[in-house]
Amino acid sequence: MNWKNPVDRWGAVSQAFHWLIVVLIVVMAYLGLTMTDLPNSPHKISLYSLHKSIGLTILALVTLRLLWRALAGTPRVLDSIPHWQARVAAWTHWALYALLFAMPISGWVVNSAAGFPLQWFHLFNLPAIAHKDQALHALARSTHETLFWTLLAIVAVHAGAALMHHLVWHDATLARMLPRRWLRVRQPLQSPPMQDDRHVQRPRA
Amino acid sequence: MCNGRVRNTLITVFAALLAAPAWATEYVQSAGSSLVFAGTYQGEVFTGRFPGFETHLSFDPDHLDTSSLRVSIPLAAATTANSDYDGEMRGASFFNAARFPTAQYNATGFRKVGENRYATDGTLSLHGVSKPVTLQFTWTPGAHPVLAGKATVRRLDFGVGSGDWADTDLIPDDIAISTKVVLQPAQ
Repeated sequence: MNWKNPVDRWGAVSQAFHWLIVVLIVVMAYLGLTMTDLPNSPHKISLYSLHKSIGLTILALVTLRLLWRALAGTPRVLDSIPHWQARVAAWTHWALYALLFAMPISGWVVNSAAGFPLQWFHLFNLPAIAHKDQALHALARSTHETLFWTLLAIVAVHAGAALMHHLVWHDATLARMLPRRWLRVRQPLQSPPMQDDRHVQRPRA
Repeated sequence: MCNGRVRNTLITVFAALLAAPAWATEYVQSAGSSLVFAGTYQGEVFTGRFPGFETHLSFDPDHLDTSSLRVSIPLAAATTANSDYDGEMRGASFFNAARFPTAQYNATGFRKVGENRYATDGTLSLHGVSKPVTLQFTWTPGAHPVLAGKATVRRLDFGVGSGDWADTDLIPDDIAISTKVVLQPAQ
């Protein structure tokens, strides 16, 4: 198995980062959207703790993910993809990376400005990154929420594009972010080897 | 006219004189006093204070058995300096300050445990429950003597943090109380 990223697809490590973060974002969105309306109780506190712990985990994962990307490289853009699409895709990828940093950091500011402790899965505490301040708390909270809806919009574009590539244009964009043979692609992954070369007349040596 | 009421009053006064000998100095609280509490929450220490508490002390190092302490603690003003905590703490699940606005600590009879160090087993009345709580304190004599004390209050003994909040993994049972009372002789 090639751990780094080959030219034609994402390697196992990059894929693991991608899909793990996807799952965590889904959990985070569910927690974030439901926990705030609960009446104050130990149950609510435990959901907030979980939300904070997973958020910090995502912050660590996206940091590692970008370091890995720098080390392992990225696959080549598919030949079939127009230049403008590749540019839009690159822009959305970097916007997603930026939001994956901005979401946890803004949440950390929310927590710090409220003066709450920050504990990672009951194991260790992290310091506040902002002073306790009501106005800052309100600002960070609305920022955190706006960033979430922005993330959701860009995720929709990103996932929608991946599905379009797979279902409409039948290229390998989605398949190459999944283990080999999970998705059938009509078109080969890279510049297709000649399937019918047995019919080609080869000059005899 | 020497009716029964007057006689009873005289007996009461006489008994009071025996119980609290005239040489015990009466003190009241002066500026610079504090009464604070501390516990842990999610791996961090939280602290709070009880503004507006009032102390009356009758103290004579030579007559410890008749020395006494009375502390009155308003709960509606108790604060951790975090409004999210304070609302919950003063509310029905914890202090229920609307129903039990004041906590009271009364102790009579001190024990000497060291040089200028004493202990007393008083009674804390909090949240409708009265139970013994031991206060350890040092005494710094002077024109404005200072009583610096420590106690541990087991919140669940007093039903503070009931229901789901009784979970001691979230908020421990033992809450540390610390006080510094600057005193002045009562006028």
